[in-house]
Amino acid sequence: MQFFRNGNEGYRSVLDPRTKLLWLVVINVVILGTGFTGVDFILRIVSAAIPFILFFLIRRPRTALLYGAVCAVMLFTEGVVIPSTKGIVNMIVVMAVGPFSRILVGYAFAFYMMCSTTVSEFVTAMRKMRVPDAVTIPLSVMFRFFPTLAEEGGAIRDAMRLRGIGIGGKRGGILRQLEYVIVPLMMSALRIGDELSAASLTKGLNAGRPRTHICRVKMELWDWALVLLGTGFLVYMLVIR
Amino acid sequence: MIEIDNVTFRYKTTDAAGNPRIVGGVSHLTLTVAPGEFVVLAGDSGCGKTTVTRLINGLVPHYYPGELEGSVRVAGIDAAKAGIGELAAHVGSVFQNPRSQFFNVDTTSELAFASENRCMEPDAIRESIRRVAREMDIEALLDRSIFALSGGEKQKIACASVAVAGPEIIVLDEPSSNLDAEGIKELEKTLALWKSEGKIVVIAEHRLYYLAKLADRLIRMKDGEIVEEIGRDRLRSMTEEEAYARGLRSLREVGLPERRTGNNTEAHDADRDFLICRNLSFRYKHSDHGIDFPELHFRRGAVTAIVGRNGAGKSTFARVLCGLERRAKGQVFFDGREWPRKKRAELCYSIMQDVNHQLFTDSVLEEVLLSMPERKGVSEKEREKAAREMLGRLDLLPLADTHPMALSGGQKQRVAIASGVVSGSPVLLFDEPTSGLDLSHMRQVGELLKLLREEGRTVLVITHDIELVREAADEVVRFD
Repeated sequence: MQFFRNGNEGYRSVLDPRTKLLWLVVINVVILGTGFTGVDFILRIVSAAIPFILFFLIRRPRTALLYGAVCAVMLFTEGVVIPSTKGIVNMIVVMAVGPFSRILVGYAFAFYMMCSTTVSEFVTAMRKMRVPDAVTIPLSVMFRFFPTLAEEGGAIRDAMRLRGIGIGGKRGGILRQLEYVIVPLMMSALRIGDELSAASLTKGLNAGRPRTHICRVKMELWDWALVLLGTGFLVYMLVIR
Repeated sequence: MIEIDNVTFRYKTTDAAGNPRIVGGVSHLTLTVAPGEFVVLAGDSGCGKTTVTRLINGLVPHYYPGELEGSVRVAGIDAAKAGIGELAAHVGSVFQNPRSQFFNVDTTSELAFASENRCMEPDAIRESIRRVAREMDIEALLDRSIFALSGGEKQKIACASVAVAGPEIIVLDEPSSNLDAEGIKELEKTLALWKSEGKIVVIAEHRLYYLAKLADRLIRMKDGEIVEEIGRDRLRSMTEEEAYARGLRSLREVGLPERRTGNNTEAHDADRDFLICRNLSFRYKHSDHGIDFPELHFRRGAVTAIVGRNGAGKSTFARVLCGLERRAKGQVFFDGREWPRKKRAELCYSIMQDVNHQLFTDSVLEEVLLSMPERKGVSEKEREKAAREMLGRLDLLPLADTHPMALSGGQKQRVAIASGVVSGSPVLLFDEPTSGLDLSHMRQVGELLKLLREEGRTVLVITHDIELVREAADEVVRFD
């Protein structure tokens, strides 16, 4: 359970996190709001193709091909199969494919974003967008806190199995068993939170004072091109249509 | 330069019932540390040595509130008036728990973190990271996920992240608690490097053998006061008996006691006298780590220490023995029959390194009752009586109604042991029971192990603590 990729100094993703954030919005607006005719169709195809290309750029060809195949089937079903069927068959196909096809592209893009961005890049980009420290610092703590909590949870689960208690175990009702998980988890979350704050303070973390960043985040030509295109899409979707 | 002048500090906390409570820190403490000096703070748990490190990095009184009298000057700054942030420019801190001292998820960001907070130029930070990585030999650890590092590697990153910012004072609070012998050697190297760079190093610690060659001065504390200052030459010549008489851990590296090294492959008189593991093997997914033991024998009714470097599979062995790993192969025999994986949790009760994960209920008595098997014809009253008896034997009876989380570390461990004993499991397995314990508590654990042996239990202890092995183990098995 870990968000974002590791690595920092030697690594730079092709796109700026800000471009990615904008496109996350663009893709969802386009896919959720377009049909299958005229300009709509072109926008749809372009948006669906973007994660496909980006997966190749971060050297995940298998993810790209899998996504491409699923996406093609979805588009085909929605564009061709659904209009040409009737009655109960049509209903089944719509219910099976409809919701999934609408979220697939957005989900793929979010996945791309997670595995191509480091936490430092993300936080640096937020700062460049003038998001205050009061937001970015809790966010970066959250990113490290969840994996820590997952580790703790695993250790607690093991301890419960050793003593034969817990879900499926022999003691107590379900509420009691839930309590057995929650109590030590809360305790260790509190303790770790407390020690983490102390350690961060001794490293000079103090929300409200500017920090520098070793992480290089810069808008390149590609970013500007994509931002322009994305803004165009948004304007078309929200204003012109 | 650090000047602590006649300082008294009491922590303000709340007790389990929510009432304000004032608890000990230090009293009338005066201590001056000159530039370039290497000072060790030693003494029992709760003697105030951690408070001294907190006075220096500002966590006391700015993070842990309380009443402070007297003056603390660190690098010319009045520490009571300046915030932690201002002190952070001069003081670097390394803590005990490697799981909770990192702000970032990847190593390089963590190395840069303190310097970024001080607004150093990004290029200067990158340069400093490269230099420190070279000096400390951690180039292979850069750009890695912190969650994928071992305890020793994490502590190295913690030290390196302090070094990158280049403070003139470094304080460490029990940094070796979670380290094995190898990790401690690495830590010793880092400390030697800092000493050669002329930094002030102040370290609160129980394990002393790795510091004896480095320390300029050892300060022994008791109940918040300094009771003795031991100079460099005296430290080098101090024998083990002299250290023990002062309640200190050994100042020399203790070797494994020879005569006890286990006879692990010889033929045995009777199989019923042993816990036998045959062809235990297990591999973690997507990694080369795992274990593969053709045959292991542990004498029944004896205390066997399992030693070996990190990564030799000691903890994995424990998980497999207790049946926690579904994909593990091999057989376990005890008492003349085989114990399949699913039954092994009944055979073997394991007391883990972090006992915090192992306590689930809202009172000590309840915790012990939870482990006690329910038998037909035994009433609630009789069960409770037996549980109280067990608590009495481990000096826990006065705490029977206390919430387990309100106990000290040593008390929690005793509660976990009490639960293990009443569970009736014939085999008890301890994973690093003495990490971070002072001499008297280490010996207490040793006594408990012997007590369990008297009870006729088979005890396995995974440990790096050779002093404990010498104290309590009948046999030693080495994993390599």
